[in-house]
Amino acid sequence: MDNEVPLPPPRRIRHRSPSRLSPAGSVASSFRKARQLSRFDDRSSQPSSDPALFSSDDIPASGLENYHAPVAGAGRKRRYRGTWWGEQVADPKRKRADFKEKRHVDSGVWMGSDESIAESSLPSEDASNWGEDLLKTVLDPKAPSKVANAPSLVKPSDMVSMPVQPRPVVLQGPAETEEHKYAKAVINECLEKGDDSVDLGNINMRVIPPGLLRPLQHLTKLPSLHEAPVSENAYFSLQPFLRIYLSNNSLTTLYTSEIFDLKDLKVLSLRNNKLTRIPEAIRKLTALQVLNVSMNRLDELPWDLLWLLQQGELKHFTAHPNPFPSIDESGPVEWHCQFDNANDEDKDGDSDEPEAPEVTPVPIFREYEGTPPDDAWTPIHVATGPVTRLDMEGRPLDLTPSFNTPSTSSQPASSAPSLREVSLRAISKLPGIDQLTDLELDEFPALVIPLISLARQARQEGAQHCSICQREFIVPRARWTEWWDCTPHENGMKRPRGSGEQLRPLPFKRVSCSWACVSGGQSVE
Amino acid sequence: MADPTTSEFVTLVSCDGFEFIIPRSAACISGTIRRMLDPASKFSEALSGRCVLENLTGIVLEKVCEYFMYNEKHKDQANVPDMEIPAELCLELLMAADYLDT
Repeated sequence: MDNEVPLPPPRRIRHRSPSRLSPAGSVASSFRKARQLSRFDDRSSQPSSDPALFSSDDIPASGLENYHAPVAGAGRKRRYRGTWWGEQVADPKRKRADFKEKRHVDSGVWMGSDESIAESSLPSEDASNWGEDLLKTVLDPKAPSKVANAPSLVKPSDMVSMPVQPRPVVLQGPAETEEHKYAKAVINECLEKGDDSVDLGNINMRVIPPGLLRPLQHLTKLPSLHEAPVSENAYFSLQPFLRIYLSNNSLTTLYTSEIFDLKDLKVLSLRNNKLTRIPEAIRKLTALQVLNVSMNRLDELPWDLLWLLQQGELKHFTAHPNPFPSIDESGPVEWHCQFDNANDEDKDGDSDEPEAPEVTPVPIFREYEGTPPDDAWTPIHVATGPVTRLDMEGRPLDLTPSFNTPSTSSQPASSAPSLREVSLRAISKLPGIDQLTDLELDEFPALVIPLISLARQARQEGAQHCSICQREFIVPRARWTEWWDCTPHENGMKRPRGSGEQLRPLPFKRVSCSWACVSGGQSVE
Repeated sequence: MADPTTSEFVTLVSCDGFEFIIPRSAACISGTIRRMLDPASKFSEALSGRCVLENLTGIVLEKVCEYFMYNEKHKDQANVPDMEIPAELCLELLMAADYLDT
């Protein structure tokens, strides 16, 4: 190889810096440089890895059986150089040059500095050109050149085309609004600093764009290293206490947001938005401790929220003010609690027998003496609204809403799901059903479009759970409202209900997966 | 054979000629089939105990019959297991469910 192309070695050093700047022959000279460097390496360097080194266990002289036998060079572990089958390396310090023959074998690995490539594409007259190029650059710095590190020369031409370029880009992708950009910046900053309090309030956001909140799943808190005096405050949990404040925005819906996938979310504020309902998927936020949904347009709350209050961690729940209807406005109900004028109940929990009040009922908590009983802290069932039965497509039947009466229709209440339900469950598990657009949906037969959109919704928001049997379902078969008093949770568990305190119940919407659940399950409670 | 109007079993026929013989009570889970087989209606299906379902293929009808038996079995059960539906059949089954009113 060495004798194929004779090189002028002394020039190499001299060329190095100008060749980087020379415009015309820059490609060729970079090849040259690479070639020269690799050649230089070949001369001086050793084989890149040492021969394998093994312990002397294979040598019988050092075995356990002649442990005490005097060994030449005792006190030092004998080392063995070579392969494990005993082949000795003749001279471990062989020069790179000895491998020359071997190097011609194609290793299958091509590297940019490979000599054969460099030589074949190298123009021989390049060496004489570099000087002229250098001269040109020095004399006329403003001359258009392809110099990479002269940005001032390149920029003006780009600037001219700048205003023209971005237009089509904006039309292609969905425009990212200012508030979304801001929100993204806030979240990135929180992720970077390990700040677990994400303040997205007051930015007039209408929707939460998909993908905005997802990175918060991986938020990691950073230990603070600034506080020099080590006090007890220096030790704190690195478990993120994730708080998201979405207050004072214009959110109308929480669909397609991944907010319910943030399993570690502890505090969520949705105060002062335009939400009309809270998705049932809120059930997934099992770590939630504080929730504020005040100043929205809610007229009912999902049953799953009550589940969080009873079974979950939720301790501070702010629901008022919201346009909740009062019990009297929403028609007849079955009462489950005491009233102001009925004091002769026993003190073992709230009575299940519905009372028939003559005057406008004022539900109160039963009177007690001494320490508050356990149920002074927990939510209390105040009243139950009538059950609306729905047909197999989720439309209300013409029957008037009823209280726990056995179904009067010809169809018996079966606890097995309908065939529609069964196939919709399968559809909602299909890959890509959540990406189905309304246009694509229109191509389905008209009869099944509302059903498929239900399945799509179930996939996007998470399936609803039957409030009686806890099973997931797609098409609800019955719904009703229950009124529960959550006063202790509303004041942050600071104070139990007082003796004889007036109850201020909240409406919770319950849905169930089958008529059998309604008629069977309610009587059990 | 006994009188087809009161027989315990009915025959469901798919458009490509597959016949499925299932208990009458199971088939009557479907509102459409129940009305077809109603002895008071004097439909030919009611008299012969044989329903020809022109717009269901054999593959779909097989799954439908499986569902009928699944429903029959778990009618009064508290904790109903899910029924397996292959992904390629679920849309056709949804259409069939709409037609059969079940």
